[in-house]
Amino acid sequence: MLPLYCPGWGPSGSRLAHHERDTVKFRTAAASGVLAAATVLALAACAGGDTSGAEPSGSASASASPTTPAVDYSKLAGTITAGGSSAQANAQAAWTAALTAQATGVTINYDKSQGSGGGVTNFLGGTYDFAGSDSPLNADQTAQAASGTCGPDGAVNLPVYLDGVAIVYNLPGVTELNLSGSTLAKIFNLQITDWSDPAITADNGGTEVASGPIQTVARSDGSGTTATFANYLTQVNKADWPYEASNKWPVAGNVSAQQGGSGVVNTVKAGTGTIGYADHSAIGDLTAASIGVSADDFVAFSADAVTAAFASAATTASNGVEGDLSQKIDYTKLTSADTYPIPLVSYDIICKTFKNSAQTEVTTGYLSFIASEQGQAVAAKNAGSAPLPQDILDQINDTLAMVK
Amino acid sequence: MSDRTIAVPDGAPSPSSGHGSAPREGGRSLAGKKHVGDSVFLGLSAASAISIMVILAGVAIFLIVKAVPAISANWADNPDLNSGPTGGWDSFWAYVTPLLWGTLWSSAIAIVLGAPVALGIALFISHYAPRRIAGALGYLVDLLAAVPSIVFGLWGIIVIRPFLLPFEQFLNQYLGWIPLFGGEASSTGSTILAGGVVLAVMILPIITSLTREIFLQTPRLNEEAALALGATRWEMVRMAVFPYARSGMVSATLLGLGRALGETMAIALIISPGILFSVRLLTEGENSQTIAANIALNFPIATDLQRSALIGTGLMLFVVSLAVNMIARYIVAATGPGAKANRRSRVGTARA
Repeated sequence: MLPLYCPGWGPSGSRLAHHERDTVKFRTAAASGVLAAATVLALAACAGGDTSGAEPSGSASASASPTTPAVDYSKLAGTITAGGSSAQANAQAAWTAALTAQATGVTINYDKSQGSGGGVTNFLGGTYDFAGSDSPLNADQTAQAASGTCGPDGAVNLPVYLDGVAIVYNLPGVTELNLSGSTLAKIFNLQITDWSDPAITADNGGTEVASGPIQTVARSDGSGTTATFANYLTQVNKADWPYEASNKWPVAGNVSAQQGGSGVVNTVKAGTGTIGYADHSAIGDLTAASIGVSADDFVAFSADAVTAAFASAATTASNGVEGDLSQKIDYTKLTSADTYPIPLVSYDIICKTFKNSAQTEVTTGYLSFIASEQGQAVAAKNAGSAPLPQDILDQINDTLAMVK
Repeated sequence: MSDRTIAVPDGAPSPSSGHGSAPREGGRSLAGKKHVGDSVFLGLSAASAISIMVILAGVAIFLIVKAVPAISANWADNPDLNSGPTGGWDSFWAYVTPLLWGTLWSSAIAIVLGAPVALGIALFISHYAPRRIAGALGYLVDLLAAVPSIVFGLWGIIVIRPFLLPFEQFLNQYLGWIPLFGGEASSTGSTILAGGVVLAVMILPIITSLTREIFLQTPRLNEEAALALGATRWEMVRMAVFPYARSGMVSATLLGLGRALGETMAIALIISPGILFSVRLLTEGENSQTIAANIALNFPIATDLQRSALIGTGLMLFVVSLAVNMIARYIVAATGPGAKANRRSRVGTARA
């Protein structure tokens, strides 16, 4: 358990010796305080070393995959500094653990506390090797990247993380609920306010699922999940959802606004007649509604259905930089019974030409691991995401090959 | 411990009644010869005093510099400010005024709920409680100040929210004609009332510990005179203690208000916010958002200019908090009790 040697011990020992020469009582007390503090620090440092050693080996077994990696990651070395989207944070942690198990010389620091906005800001400011973001760079930011931190080659958005927005509800006794996109828009826009509404009954084969007032629960903080869900509602029912897609929930009135996906999930769980939306990976033991793709077909969330949805509805909408893979999802195309209609994509953003070329190899190596079949499987297993289709993974690797 | 007996012999019998400053006064009387340590310490403490002013000025400059782009921008046309957390307002001032209102409103609720309780606790400790209980109670209240606000927030979500729900629905049903209790009653409990209750608990320690000290400073003669004239305990408190401590009570309450104004996490976690003007206490969708919680909720996702706008709201909060604290200090300085000499004899007399 205890490490044989920790660097913390040396200095703390000498400090102690120095202080022990003083005979004044007060100073001795202070010295033992220093000793105690130093001991704690040393132990913490050692404990830190222990975890960072144990973590990769732990998830290495978790990530054991039949496919042999096409690339030999063990030659990579260096430190990657990144951060941004909290949606992909669990996946980043899984990827980090899995890669560092193979490439012991690599350290990856992904700071999820920044959020997408902070990730992009720090990336444009030049402090990040890549940013995680729930939305690709907008036109302004793309121009800013090209004129600033990335140089004329610009920055590219790589879709690396795929999940779905789940609609969670709490109705005692109701374990199965079907809702069409049009009904969802009316519910979340407060036009349908009771569970016995005919539109809900019609979605569920003509039987009334429940009665009582509906309490919608949304995010109080700005969020990529909100933007994705609002974008979906705009596309499927513009008439009942007259809002611009934005990362802020647009509906005012009797909406319960809660902080974070977990806040939404907890409030839905604690209330009765509640309905809310959250990343599927965050919903815990709540049941999610099946979402209508056509008049008769309602699809429950599954990783396969999300992957299929991405394959059929996402098209590349490049920001003008060669190799950019910003995706535009046409939700109206999702009418097949094997596609889940609200997929959620999160991006990693990198420069096409690194200012510090020493970072190029290790960063693209890490991203190519993320965009490998193995990387996607690791995230699906540990973070509950859905694997991206193979052809978009190939495109990501093509782009990574262009990065200098 | 011996310091205390040297400086104030009559303080020794009641060391447990919360005389935080007793050793300091004893220490002052022990000042000795000049020494190298003196000049070093003078330099260190002067540097500390200067650094706090530099830090405060630095914060103010940071806020102003970062906020100016958003304050001066044209909000209606700007694509950044038009969307996301700042979308839907014509100007910075239109955006910040409802937030300022929400900040003041939630703090006012906390003061209305918390200050009377805090004063009651302070009075109980200083004038009513048996010595042992008073000491223990004082420590407990101070302990309350050590609870992190995120813990208060979680407590609010998990305990206070469901606890208040039946009470809120009762108020809404029977007293809904009063605007405060009107509107569509919340079904989850994320109301500004729940937030205010938790805020009230959070400001208890600061108000209690300050007013307790002030109550203890009431001149013993005044109290004894009141009692000698046949006043009951309550009449004595009303005639001798309150008039003497009035300015202190006001300034302690204002300092509590300052604490409530800047509270972030508890509010962000508990309240279901909207950026609007509302006095309703029991609704889900009409709770005015506070500045601090709004920054915490939206900063991560905000773009550069939106961040600038959020920092601008922070600047407004900074100005309001500064004003509140300065008013509190001014009241203390202008009208506060000067006499410290009578401080220590209080508990014994009150129990007599």
